[in-house]
Amino acid sequence: MDLDEALADLVARSGARLLRVGYQLTHDRSAAQDLVQDALLRVYGSARRRGTMPDDWYAYLRRAVVNEYLRTRRLRSSTEVPTDTVPDRPVVDQPEDRVVDRADLWAALGALNSRQRAVLVLRYYEGLADGEIAAVIGCREASVRSIASRGLAALRQRAVLAGAGAEEGRR
Amino acid sequence: MNSIENELRRVMAEHDRQAPSVADLLSALERSAQTSWPGSSGRRASWHVPLLAAAAVAAVIAGSVWAGTLLTGHRRIPPVASRLSCPARHGRATLWVPDKPSGVDGRSRLVPQRTPASALICAYAGTNMGPPSRWRLSGRRLVAAGLARLAAQLSWQPRELRGQAIMCTLIGGPQTDYLIGLAYPGGGTIWVATALDPNHCVGTSNGQFSGIGVVGQLVQRAFASGRWPPRPVASCKGRITDDGRLGQETAMVPAGSTTLVICNAHLSRVIRSGYGRLVTALNSLPTSLSTRGCSQRGPSRLHYQLLFAYPKGPPVVVDVMKGCFPEIDNFSLQSGSANRIFPIIGRLVHPG
Repeated sequence: MDLDEALADLVARSGARLLRVGYQLTHDRSAAQDLVQDALLRVYGSARRRGTMPDDWYAYLRRAVVNEYLRTRRLRSSTEVPTDTVPDRPVVDQPEDRVVDRADLWAALGALNSRQRAVLVLRYYEGLADGEIAAVIGCREASVRSIASRGLAALRQRAVLAGAGAEEGRR
Repeated sequence: MNSIENELRRVMAEHDRQAPSVADLLSALERSAQTSWPGSSGRRASWHVPLLAAAAVAAVIAGSVWAGTLLTGHRRIPPVASRLSCPARHGRATLWVPDKPSGVDGRSRLVPQRTPASALICAYAGTNMGPPSRWRLSGRRLVAAGLARLAAQLSWQPRELRGQAIMCTLIGGPQTDYLIGLAYPGGGTIWVATALDPNHCVGTSNGQFSGIGVVGQLVQRAFASGRWPPRPVASCKGRITDDGRLGQETAMVPAGSTTLVICNAHLSRVIRSGYGRLVTALNSLPTSLSTRGCSQRGPSRLHYQLLFAYPKGPPVVVDVMKGCFPEIDNFSLQSGSANRIFPIIGRLVHPG
């Protein structure tokens, strides 16, 4: 199978899965489609230049999608609006024991920084081990655990606080 | 396993349905490839691959042609879009377009909000010094990636109001006029004119709608790479120079804002609720057309930039500067005095 056939076959078999990963990362349909297109373009160009094909096309392309996401987010983050700032509110006791509202959780996931979101998507959506995630995003396994831990802590706080705010609003 | 991790898995799975389908991706690739065929003679045979039975795969193979064309297009003029081609010469006016919008609405927005099937950029290099002349075509490029971004950015350009005179510097130097030809599924076409000028002052026009956004640098990057770049994001770091948002020409703060960021030299405050009074006060001010300038009368002690963000589309930036008249400006509308506004901002910045 040559490069074109391999890539065509991959997109036919795994394109939907890649788009879903792209959507989990961006939370935006257009951005997800652009992300996968851009990643396809990079992988295609790279494979043509090297004249070799990767053994695991899906893993290779998924890595390209994640890195394209992190790359473009880095470009944006240098001038990004600091909407990640959490307003001062009282700390809720034992938030991890509460069942959070899923809409709040999805919104909170979208407010995480790009590396936290990428790690959580790879761990909980793609089901990768921390060592595999480290290889995808290019950092140490300990860093993955740290990023995931901070991301989960931020999710707990934001999702629960959002829920608490909604309850107050209804009173 | 604690509950948040289980909930996270569930919420991710629940949102699977909202992801774009592979058919969307395939058709986008196929459309791009189809618009690449004319003029790419001699390449088709080398890209031909026996079909693997599925029509989707054939579309992807066409996508390969699109990718190859884009990647190898740096050393030669890429092929033109199938339905549009670059005029050999530009008109005398900077914001000249060869045709008015056809089959799409060009009056309510600069471009439709939907993703075009193809985007062709035509470049006309010249200089802003000397008398106007009809510059020759100096290059053309098919934008093969980022078309959704293109639509998202250009469709929100604020409208230039009749009689609006914007202050510009008068730096002389090289200028490139651009035409962006967009073709849509179903047959509609629209041309957008803009320029990369030394004063970063030229807006946009489709022949029916003129916008005040300065997008020359974005177009230059798209022309160089074949991809429409991500939109620069407005922030508190440095002076905000965002292009603005359609609707800011009729209201200082268009309806629907969900987040306010207050910036000045010392602070960046994000406010997600409770700023309705500020919006009401700003929208009740008497306004005139913005010149994007003000006249200093005495020392300026207070200068805020208010960034109103929306769930979809770009933010609106309102510049409030004490002692520089008009004191309030959203770059489409100005208002003379901010005396009523400063106390409201003060309460938001220092609640209680």
